[in-house]
Amino acid sequence: MIGRDEVHDLLAREALCLDRRDWDGWLSLYTDDCSYWMPAWRDEENPTDNPDRELSLIWYQGKHNLEDRVWRVKSGLSIASVPMLRTAHQVSAILIEGPDTVSASFACHVHNVKRRTDHCFFGRYEYRLVHEGDALKIAAKKILLMNDNIPTVADFYML
Amino acid sequence: MRWEEVSALVDDRVTDGWFSVHRRAFTDAAIFDLEMRHIFEGGWVFLGMASQVPNPHDYLTTTVGRVPIVVMRDGEGKLDAFVNACTHKGALICHKRTGSGRLHVCRYHSWSFDSAGQSVGVKGLRDGAYSDAFMQTDRNLSRLPAFADYRGFLFGSLVPTCPIEEHLGEARHLLDVAADQGEDGLELVPGEVVFTYDGNWKMQLENCADAYHFTSTHPSYLQLIEKRRREEKKNVVKSVWGENSAWSEMTEGITGGTYGFDQGHVLNWQVIPLSDTVPLAERAELLAERYGAARRDWMVNMRNMTIFPNLQVAENASSQLRIIRPLSAGKTEMRTFCIAPKGESDGARRMRIRNYEDFFNPTGMATPDDTVCYADCQDGHANALQPWILGYARGMESVQDGPDQFADVLGMKPDRSQPCGSQLCDETLFHSYYRAWLSRLKVGMERSA
Ligand code: FES
Ligand SMILES: [Fe+2]
Repeated sequence: MIGRDEVHDLLAREALCLDRRDWDGWLSLYTDDCSYWMPAWRDEENPTDNPDRELSLIWYQGKHNLEDRVWRVKSGLSIASVPMLRTAHQVSAILIEGPDTVSASFACHVHNVKRRTDHCFFGRYEYRLVHEGDALKIAAKKILLMNDNIPTVADFYML
Repeated sequence: MRWEEVSALVDDRVTDGWFSVHRRAFTDAAIFDLEMRHIFEGGWVFLGMASQVPNPHDYLTTTVGRVPIVVMRDGEGKLDAFVNACTHKGALICHKRTGSGRLHVCRYHSWSFDSAGQSVGVKGLRDGAYSDAFMQTDRNLSRLPAFADYRGFLFGSLVPTCPIEEHLGEARHLLDVAADQGEDGLELVPGEVVFTYDGNWKMQLENCADAYHFTSTHPSYLQLIEKRRREEKKNVVKSVWGENSAWSEMTEGITGGTYGFDQGHVLNWQVIPLSDTVPLAERAELLAERYGAARRDWMVNMRNMTIFPNLQVAENASSQLRIIRPLSAGKTEMRTFCIAPKGESDGARRMRIRNYEDFFNPTGMATPDDTVCYADCQDGHANALQPWILGYARGMESVQDGPDQFADVLGMKPDRSQPCGSQLCDETLFHSYYRAWLSRLKVGMERSA
């Protein structure tokens, strides 16, 4: 069973780590074999559902793929990541829905420092959480991006 | 704006070793308006894929310039394109990206239209005290004067124009190479991804064909796939760029090249050897039997193709179909799809999709590095002190008229060819864009004069 307090802490910590760019802290919240998935939209109503036959916006299995994304934004080699955009994640309506599943609603305000523009990505998170020892970790995260008309870039840290 | 002002934006003197485009072509709202009227709304443009509307009464919606369009299949299965606007007052008739319906009832006053675009009902017609003049007026949806299905690629024009064969010209061979990969042509993988960038639409036109930027713009991607190849972890995307080095300065000899066509279409290509990172590998022998090994090799090669003005099919790390939709001189919308051969195995499809997500998505690791550069250029185009862009010069001394030996394999006769090594990174192929750009503007401006 997962407890309400530890769930709220975990989700708040993920938001904080991303906003603070504490990448190691962020990665430590995930299990090694985690899945990380942001489906695309098949049509007006339905997100894609089968990552092997349909397109996702992001689909990874295994934390090493998230480490790669972190490496890229830190590397200084990605034009779209220099300067990085400033973010503020807001996570709310956190609900434990099953023995290990949690849903939440998110909004991420993004400020493009260079172009002096603002954008807000919003949608829903769905988590599957597991205990590793005392720590609650993310075994699966699904991001349902509601406004998928993307102004130039939506990197993992803006979602 | 007078034609002389427009034509002065392209300085085409290749016999003197000079070609340039004026920055105003990228920034001027009046030019943008002419482009909408005479290029996008004044000749052939790409609309969508026949595979999006497989059954009778299916439709897809899109935009041509500023005009809403619906492509519909009627009860007999015949495709046609219409302005997606009720002939009463103009309300949109079809509301989804793709959908289906025998009868489309306008939501505003209930006029109705069938899937062949025919008006089939006017609410309260008998009690309407309509005049004869009204009764004799055509109420059918406005049919596009030109519509064509070429190998599943659908094109339309809002003005009467040449046959599609003439518009595609010799570039049709490139669509054939793409379409022949599948048993039954191509399909779009479910999941359309739409993004915008803060730059002119012609930045995208150029970038797709721009070999010069690849190693400069994408080092994070290139280093990452190299790292993945070394580490050989499971559940990572293997990319064709990891196996192939046609872009690397270490590679000698002819590694690819470019073609340009009079109608403004271009191809930038590179040799890609068959390997297990190529989704088509599973069909390689079958395709060689059917089309010959040389033509099969063309299917495996990297091919970044632009069909002027708004269609790009980029087959490299994966395969992407892009519809370029200009919103203003400084803003462009990209509608993007993973395009794939029908009947592909689960394994090949999975590899194609994974590579697509990493390379092509605005949430991936390559495309945003391009589009941020477009916005940078758009800012820089304000430079009136140096109004002429210096990006059309590489390859000027080596480009040749007509086909090269690689085009001969396809029986294709491009207007110009540039077979080259990895480091030439031709820019002369862009000349074809701007010659077609001018010629479509000219035809349109003369038509409307
Ligand atoms: S606008 Fe369609 S019926 Fe009036
Ligand atoms: Fe690029």
